Amino acid sequence: MSVLTKDSPTSRSRAAFVGLFGLCAAIFAGPAGAAEKAAFLLPGSINDQSWNAQGYQGAEKLKAVGWDVAYTENVQVADMVEALRDYARKDYKVVVGHTGRFLSAMERIGPDFPKTLFIVGSGSAGAGTNVTSIDYDNTQFGFMMGVLAARMSRTGKIGSVNSLEGLPNVVAQVGGFRKGAKSVRPDIEVKVIYIKSMEDAAEAKEAALSLIAGGADFISGKLNAGQTGIIQAAKEKGVYANGRSFGHSEIAPDAVLTNIVEKWSDMYSQTAQEQAKSGGVGGKYVLYGLNTPGSTGAELAYNATQPLNPAVPASVANELDALKGKFKDGSLKIAVNREDAHGGI
Amino acid sequence: MDLMMIADLAAATVRISTPLLFAALGGLLSEKAGTFAVGIEGMMLAGAFTGAISAFVFGNVALGFALAALGGAATGSLLAFATARCRADQMVTGLAVNVLVLGLSSFLLRGLFGGRAPVIRLTPPGTWPLPWLSEIPVMGPVLFRQSAIVYLAFLLVVPLTLFLTKTRAGLTLRAVGENPEAAFAAGYDPIRIRMIAIVAGGALAGLGGAVLALQEVGSFTDGMTNGRGFIALAAIMVGRWTPVGAIAGCLIFGFVSALELRAQSWGLPVSSYVMQMMPYCLALALLAGVSRSARLPAAIGVPFIRH
Repeated sequence: MSVLTKDSPTSRSRAAFVGLFGLCAAIFAGPAGAAEKAAFLLPGSINDQSWNAQGYQGAEKLKAVGWDVAYTENVQVADMVEALRDYARKDYKVVVGHTGRFLSAMERIGPDFPKTLFIVGSGSAGAGTNVTSIDYDNTQFGFMMGVLAARMSRTGKIGSVNSLEGLPNVVAQVGGFRKGAKSVRPDIEVKVIYIKSMEDAAEAKEAALSLIAGGADFISGKLNAGQTGIIQAAKEKGVYANGRSFGHSEIAPDAVLTNIVEKWSDMYSQTAQEQAKSGGVGGKYVLYGLNTPGSTGAELAYNATQPLNPAVPASVANELDALKGKFKDGSLKIAVNREDAHGGI
Repeated sequence: MDLMMIADLAAATVRISTPLLFAALGGLLSEKAGTFAVGIEGMMLAGAFTGAISAFVFGNVALGFALAALGGAATGSLLAFATARCRADQMVTGLAVNVLVLGLSSFLLRGLFGGRAPVIRLTPPGTWPLPWLSEIPVMGPVLFRQSAIVYLAFLLVVPLTLFLTKTRAGLTLRAVGENPEAAFAAGYDPIRIRMIAIVAGGALAGLGGAVLALQEVGSFTDGMTNGRGFIALAAIMVGRWTPVGAIAGCLIFGFVSALELRAQSWGLPVSSYVMQMMPYCLALALLAGVSRSARLPAAIGVPFIRH
């Protein structure tokens, strides 16, 4: 367990000095209380350059605005309840679990610690008065990806490789993708394949190859380690794909048209600060999108400076910008259901 | 279903079967000599790991394949020492090795590179179109434009079959699996022969893992074999402990896996979760059918004790 705020072996005199300084600060600063405390629980290592690294950015961001932040890595499902309880007992105001799997553990212990706000990253529901799920608006970004795919396809066939059919955020992104593509080309064929594991890159590649063999020339998807398989297939066969991080653009600079880069640091810090300021965040399911204040939840980014691959013509880029504008001012709202995300054509 | 779709299905079947085939042939060697190949998954993963890391560090994919075989063999030697020499339970040891490699590969991936998992990007080796054969209409281009490692997997069956049926060494290996006491009485050392068989099998399984990492994905990800070793184990049984049978077993699983992905677009009123079960349901059904007529090597699972 690594904790940012763990006691370092300071000398006694330095401790005394810090204490004195703290006392002075307290006197001069008046009634302002101690720093707010937030804890982050991550399912993997913060160095993974992907999901966990993104979650840890939230801790860094809160630390930068003066919060007292602790974190624990590699929290296994069996240990979730204990890890959560541990922080809640130490009066952490906000405890973040950085995967949807934290939801049931938080539902269980939430009622025991009413003063703590429990946040589930990529969760699918709020619970009680103090368990909140947050996610980015998968529907909006899936929809825009569908429009991009439909505009860039020459064959009139596009595909998507995913896992966990029926999971709310998967339904939202895949359904959004299909609706987005059909919104600009009603006759386009959108084929969706579900594979067994988000992490199996070899299987994802086979699924993508089967779509390409069927004529698809844009492959989308929302997988973890498996996303690499989609991109490898697109690269080998000379078709387009979308990734989830800048690293994916680097694997196949010609095949990847853009990435849906999730902004967990914004979402976590925004939610935590809102709770500290005014409370009332508990028990909700909060979606960050282009139309929400504080964070857009995610963004389309090809690399650090460009939103799209230079191969995307200006007319299509403009169309996507117009779409973003419509989502932002609320004039476009997309609702998807399970049927929109069904497997097959 | 037109001809192009059949060709595509055949190509996918060959691709999916290749890593399974290496693993199954490796496991076959181990089982023929009397040791259950439960650790095949771990040996595959070890091969995927050492193959990807060495190809990444040395910038040479061929060297990656060679070191993948070494990684699989090293894992096999651990198993060989525990089961043949120390007479540990074969099932428990095999499962323990699988878990060990899963954790160790994830740990080393970070540990070797200063706590930060490196971004591994490898260029998969190109294809070698076979003259004449690759020009057969429709099927030629899909079946005979593969990388060298794919041909190797399928050609390996010939020497392996000859080894097991025609050579003294191969017959001795089988004797150790059937009746180690008799082999011992004839002057052979069953413990040593079993150890060699497990290590050689580990090298083959390691190559199978390397096919995934170096040929298919071009990277290493945690736990990337994802249960393929167990499918290979089933293929050995379905193939009734012969190399040719193992090919058939692997091709059947490869075919059903490829079919499952394509069948999802046929609009059948079946959940994708049911579709994903198809290869495993088939494995169960085939194994249930085979078990009645199965003839395991007689002394498999029984440690040899020198009296």
